[in-house]
Amino acid sequence: MRRFSFFGGKGGTGKTSCAAAYALSLSRRGVRTLVVSTDPAHSLSDAFGKQIGCEAVRLSDSLHGLEIDAAVEAKKYMELIQKKTLDLVSAAIVDEIKRQIEIAYMSPGAEEAAIFDKFVELMESAGTDYDAIVFDTAPTGHTLRLLTLPEILGVWIDQLIEKRKKAMHLMKMASRYDAYLADKIKEDPILETLTARKEKFEVARDFLTDASLTAFFFVMNAERLSILETARAVELLTKHGISIGGVVINKVIPQDAGAFFDKRRVSQEGCLADIRARFSQLKLVELPLLETDVQGLEQLDVMASTLSSLDETKD
Amino acid sequence: MKKLWPTLKKAWEFIILFHRGAFVDKRMAVVRKEAFDINDNLMLLLFGDFLGIPNPMSYYMLELLPYVADDMESWERRIQNRKFIIAEKAAQYDFD
Repeated sequence: MRRFSFFGGKGGTGKTSCAAAYALSLSRRGVRTLVVSTDPAHSLSDAFGKQIGCEAVRLSDSLHGLEIDAAVEAKKYMELIQKKTLDLVSAAIVDEIKRQIEIAYMSPGAEEAAIFDKFVELMESAGTDYDAIVFDTAPTGHTLRLLTLPEILGVWIDQLIEKRKKAMHLMKMASRYDAYLADKIKEDPILETLTARKEKFEVARDFLTDASLTAFFFVMNAERLSILETARAVELLTKHGISIGGVVINKVIPQDAGAFFDKRRVSQEGCLADIRARFSQLKLVELPLLETDVQGLEQLDVMASTLSSLDETKD
Repeated sequence: MKKLWPTLKKAWEFIILFHRGAFVDKRMAVVRKEAFDINDNLMLLLFGDFLGIPNPMSYYMLELLPYVADDMESWERRIQNRKFIIAEKAAQYDFD
């Protein structure tokens, strides 16, 4: 069992069900587990058949669920900034600043950043309230951006820190004969804030790239497009140093499915062979196509017993 | 002899002030200007999205806003009124 497990894959492959079932299998073994949805379009509530919000909700013994709401997180963040501004400058300027905050709120990436912040906060809190956190992520593209965010932004923020340091150095030189300036640069909140932010990215990066803490599980169907996308994503995550825990092949049509499915099963066999060849070094788990949709604890339990084999090391 | 000490002291002070006025202040003004220019550029990197330049992490830059709020308006005016970069640069070096 890893402390952080991520479930991702193409849309509609059954990420949420697998994440929910895996979390359930952990909790059945007595591990205090939190299952978190980072997908802006949440469906964790539907999988458990119980309303889950942006606060952790108890789902069963030692299993809690949470859906990150980007809008709520962003709002909390902005209110914090407004309060801080009020402490530092006059109310007239705060009004001016409000406009700028609104602009940033609407800017692309704000939602992602808000989700990312919450996500890091949860990862940092792991170990005290929960032993394991299972993330049900959004379809591949969104998640890859989210997971590679710390690396990309880390470089950018390094540049900013360097620039600020240069300016401060020059100011220090100029302030030898300038008491006003000397007073102004005694402490630099800008440098402090930037450094704190950088450290936060580094913490996230350390968590994500630590193979003993984090593993990413791909959920896919035995279909061509699904295989191709997963192959690409595996390559990208490996490049960014995130370890892949295994692949779940979901909705595999069973032998006794009947005449209608026979033809599909033939093409499925080809796909399965392809999957076994492509992901030979990864742990593979197959889940059969079920008669009904998966909803509620009982049905999740059925999947959970199969998924618990994800923790076994590949032999 | 008694009068000599204060006179010397005064002369020394005068020399210091002269040195400062003739050499230091002018040079330091250049350094100071350069420092503020770099800071203005940094602000452009931090808050470019207010001027319509996309910024990959404008959301995170908001947490710097409280500290630069005072300077925000004048910065926007300065940065939008830039006309001649060369003239601006040339003004740093006085040729007299």
